Amino acid sequence: MSAVTSFLTRRRGQGRRWHWTDVVTWAWLAAGVVLMFGPALWLVASSFKGPAQLAEFPPTLLPYVQQTAQVEGHDEPLPLYTVTREDGTEVVLAEIRRIGTNSQMVDPANPEERINVNIADREPVREVGFATENYVAPLVANNFLRFLWNSVFVTAVATAITLLTNSMAAFALSKYDFRGRNAVMLLIVATLMVPLSVILVPLYAVVNATGLLDSLWGVILPTVATPTGVFLLRQYMLTIPDELLEAARMDHASEWQIYWRIVLPLTAPALAVLAIFSVVWRWNDFLWPLIVLSRRELYTLQVGLNTYAGELNVQWHYILAMTVVTMIPVVLIFVFLQRFITAGIAGAGIK
Amino acid sequence: MSQIALKGVTKSFGGVSVIHGVDLDIETGELVVFVGPSGCGKSTLLRLISGLDQPSAGAIEIDGRDVTRVSAADRGLAMVFQSYALYPHMTVRQNLSFGLENTRMAKAEVTGRVAEAARMLNIEPLLDRRPTQLSGGQRQRVAIGRAIVRNPTAFLLDEPLSNLDAELRVSMRAELAALHARLGTTMIYVTHDQIEAMTLASRIVVLRAGRVEQVARPLDLFNRPANLFVAGFIGAPSMNLFPTRAEGGTAALPGGRRVPMAGVPEGSEVTIGLRPQHLRLAQGNEPGFDLRIALIEALGTETVVHGELAGTSGDTPRRVFAILPGQPGVALGDILRLGFDEAYLHRFGPDGQRLVGPGRP
Repeated sequence: MSAVTSFLTRRRGQGRRWHWTDVVTWAWLAAGVVLMFGPALWLVASSFKGPAQLAEFPPTLLPYVQQTAQVEGHDEPLPLYTVTREDGTEVVLAEIRRIGTNSQMVDPANPEERINVNIADREPVREVGFATENYVAPLVANNFLRFLWNSVFVTAVATAITLLTNSMAAFALSKYDFRGRNAVMLLIVATLMVPLSVILVPLYAVVNATGLLDSLWGVILPTVATPTGVFLLRQYMLTIPDELLEAARMDHASEWQIYWRIVLPLTAPALAVLAIFSVVWRWNDFLWPLIVLSRRELYTLQVGLNTYAGELNVQWHYILAMTVVTMIPVVLIFVFLQRFITAGIAGAGIK
Repeated sequence: MSQIALKGVTKSFGGVSVIHGVDLDIETGELVVFVGPSGCGKSTLLRLISGLDQPSAGAIEIDGRDVTRVSAADRGLAMVFQSYALYPHMTVRQNLSFGLENTRMAKAEVTGRVAEAARMLNIEPLLDRRPTQLSGGQRQRVAIGRAIVRNPTAFLLDEPLSNLDAELRVSMRAELAALHARLGTTMIYVTHDQIEAMTLASRIVVLRAGRVEQVARPLDLFNRPANLFVAGFIGAPSMNLFPTRAEGGTAALPGGRRVPMAGVPEGSEVTIGLRPQHLRLAQGNEPGFDLRIALIEALGTETVVHGELAGTSGDTPRRVFAILPGQPGVALGDILRLGFDEAYLHRFGPDGQRLVGPGRP
């Protein structure tokens, strides 16, 4: 604790008084922390709020639930309110039902007597609590586990195929000298400039013609050849000395063995980076799966989330909760593998 | 019968010709060294023999079989690369066995051969390490081991010692010589270091600009260089070359001494060569030439003197090297009178080729 305190109150020089730059720095960094973490933390906090609380204005930071009490003569627990009486004293009562602007209430200590209170005179009794049914209901009842599995399948298979095909293309483009090699490379990189929305319609036609519509393979296959991946791996493979390949050639290795046993293991750092990128891309894909998939049992998480946003009614509490679930793998990847990501980006010299 | 034969081999890269018709015969068990200045095509020639590159024209034969179009793996050769080219992600053991496993050799034999090579090169304790955990000299041994396990008909070594420090280079050189004596396998060795060439070679091939200048045993190369290039290239410091003119069967050296010069047309431009080792301080009235000392390198056992010919200081003073035995009392700026024996002279004709005539073997 003292280490944290000394870290937070660290100043210019040693043990001197606060300089104005210390104050500015501290405020600047604190504002940065709020700016970066605020939305994410608010999302997590809000995912535990019930629908009524989400609609409240002004909004609260923390999730609250209304306290209830078991009152004799009633099967269900009744919500508790603080009621301000005419003489100004406050008392905690349980609400039985509401009629117009009046509320019929009862004192839990004295369940026989009914009290009529104007709703303007009562305030709900609340404590910090978590609406865990936001998570339980979609995961159990709404097939979200199925969506989760679909997302995992799409992400894992697409990433595996991406690594294989892109590394093969990169191997050919970096280690074989053939006519038009640079033209091919340029063509591949040029496709980076074509956004998905431009090729959406022709791509749909192709997927439809090949019978992949409404199947997970229709989501996976069009995405596996990524120009970024080919470029990243090629730049890395260029740094592998050709003498290694020649040594392998002298060692009776076939071209496939050179690729599989020499080049691929040596490209591992770049493959790790591409794997991380690919997982994040495929996991977050929304538009393409939305177009390809129409059967509910094939939905990925991102498409599944979309089902909570109807035309007339948006179930914010479910969307928020499932957004948190969707974020977890990506966050974990960045927490544990950020070392590789920064190293790989620096190594490949691209953004 | 020669084991490796090159017949009219040429190679050009995109229109630029780098090897111009090389003919060469290499006998079984020889250690042939390709030597020459950088860019002379020695490494290219080695790669042509290895099969990693294809010649533009000509033929390469191994054991009497034309292998010009045979792939590198099927020529039965093993190569040691300048950078060693060890597979960094494999242990030393895997590095050694990789090539054998690719030929589907039985496991037991692979293990046996790896163990044998490791024992021969004293790398047994290193077998489970990776190349990055080895020192330069150890990597060099592993690279040689990878060649040995394949039991090749010939070893091709591309500047194998150039990445080692001076001390290690000397000891590895001796080990390579011992290894060659022990295995008796043909070796082709590329280097730009003439000491390596002189100490290791059975025969030296001197290359310049893609052409073979001379093929000879090391001492023959030193004693009877075939032309001016070889004369200047072999030997350190290099041979003193004096351009002069043949007149009346003799030619004049600096200082006025005339030496016999037969077999060339009267008045033709000839060159006389004299190794620094064969110059000595003139005794008494012995004829010779005067040298103003510009630099002295005292090495203890001998003293290398860089000098300028006295009397030529005007336009282009001619540099002359002399190696004097021991530690003679000479100082910078002194003028020395140097003498020599005519038997040590090398004579080159107008075309730069060696003239047959008097000359020490």
